[in-house]
Amino acid sequence: MNYGLRKAHKYIWLILVFIAPIVIIFSIKDLDVFSSEKEGESQIESSKKVNIRSVENDLISASFSENKIQIILKNTLKNSSSVVYEADANGNKTNIIGQLTTAGIYSFNSISKPKGIIISDDLKNVQITKLMFK
Amino acid sequence: MGLDYKLVLWNKYKKAYDKVIVFSMLLYVILFAVVTLVFNSQTSIETLVIRAFGSLAFIMLHIILVIGPLARLNSNFLPILYNRRHLGVSMFIAALIHGGFSMFQFHALGDVNPVYSVFTSNMDYGSVTNFPFQVLGFLALLILFVMASTSHDFFLSNLTSKVWKRLHMLVYFAYLLIIAHVFLGAFQQETSPFTIGILVIGFMIIASLHLITAFREGKIDKTRSLEEDGWLKVCDINEIEEDRAKICTVAKERVAIFKYDGKLSAINNVCKHQGGPLGEGKIIDGCITCPWHGYQYVPHNGQSPPPFTEKVATYALKLEANTVYINPVAFEEGTEVKPCNY
Repeated sequence: MNYGLRKAHKYIWLILVFIAPIVIIFSIKDLDVFSSEKEGESQIESSKKVNIRSVENDLISASFSENKIQIILKNTLKNSSSVVYEADANGNKTNIIGQLTTAGIYSFNSISKPKGIIISDDLKNVQITKLMFK
Repeated sequence: MGLDYKLVLWNKYKKAYDKVIVFSMLLYVILFAVVTLVFNSQTSIETLVIRAFGSLAFIMLHIILVIGPLARLNSNFLPILYNRRHLGVSMFIAALIHGGFSMFQFHALGDVNPVYSVFTSNMDYGSVTNFPFQVLGFLALLILFVMASTSHDFFLSNLTSKVWKRLHMLVYFAYLLIIAHVFLGAFQQETSPFTIGILVIGFMIIASLHLITAFREGKIDKTRSLEEDGWLKVCDINEIEEDRAKICTVAKERVAIFKYDGKLSAINNVCKHQGGPLGEGKIIDGCITCPWHGYQYVPHNGQSPPPFTEKVATYALKLEANTVYINPVAFEEGTEVKPCNY
């Protein structure tokens, strides 16, 4: 290498030594890298203690815990619209929380503490299914 | 050293070097697959390929980046430097497999152009921790592609050594992009202090070696020789080994003074091929031979022997009472200079 290239190498590495640690520190500062496996296990154990209410029928399996509703849609519905509503104790629609498309697992934030869910085809204005949490 | 351009000028050393590369790469991928499937049998084949080749490319990049300073600090590492370009191209292939599979799995199955999708699927460019890390990997892959595709001697010769070297220094920028790609991507999910620690140590080793080399070279650049009537005092003639050279600094540039057959000749220390240190080579068959790739120059005129056309600058020498003096004003590249007899 000639003098110019040697100098360029030196300054490039001085800059890298300054920038790379900044990138590394900012990228890992919020990570929980030093949590032990025991802590992880205790989190799993504590999550098991959360009251989970589940119901199931031929179309869907639904569970409610804390403020989350998880719906497993077993097969893709033939309806062109599948809107998910929260249901009150009387089995009436309250809040819209989302919609279903293809078969799969869906997770929604609940707005109130629902007693059940209703899936409705709002285009044809028909109720597809209703499940009340036990 | 070849007169015409061939895809690869094979010799037994290059074949052995490449066999080691291919065998090591295969061994790593197989071991990675076995370990992954043992500890996480649910891993899909696409994920396995992406992780195996991504980590392989990153490890290879670390090796490539330490070869240069290691060879400067200890000549025992020169054989690894000899075919570093093949290692670089192999690393690019591993990175391409990683990038190609990632783009296919995450961006090619929608109705948007995969490249467009890489840049737009995550628009959180203002965030540090949620920055779209795939963009960083894509840009690094582009740089590695440019480097791999211009690695052949055809481009080295036609772009000139200076431009080629500057172009290939982009590898340091690619390295920074890849560090950010890995830390902002994979390490956000795989938060193991072990892997993070390994990469931090890897960076520290590479950076330390480069800086140690840079400061050592800088110290040599600052060496001042005594000047007498326009001539610089270099050394006693007995300090130079037969068929070897003494390297001195003249106007911030290195000059190699070779001792051979009862004569002394001085040429610029920088090989025209890839900037190798000619003064660390030796005289073979009457020619100065570069320790990096074997390029040769005639000592008294700095020209490669016909039919080759490389030329380096030459310098005038004088000998007074066993002391070697050099005229700091270089002659034009390839200028014939009468050797100094002793």
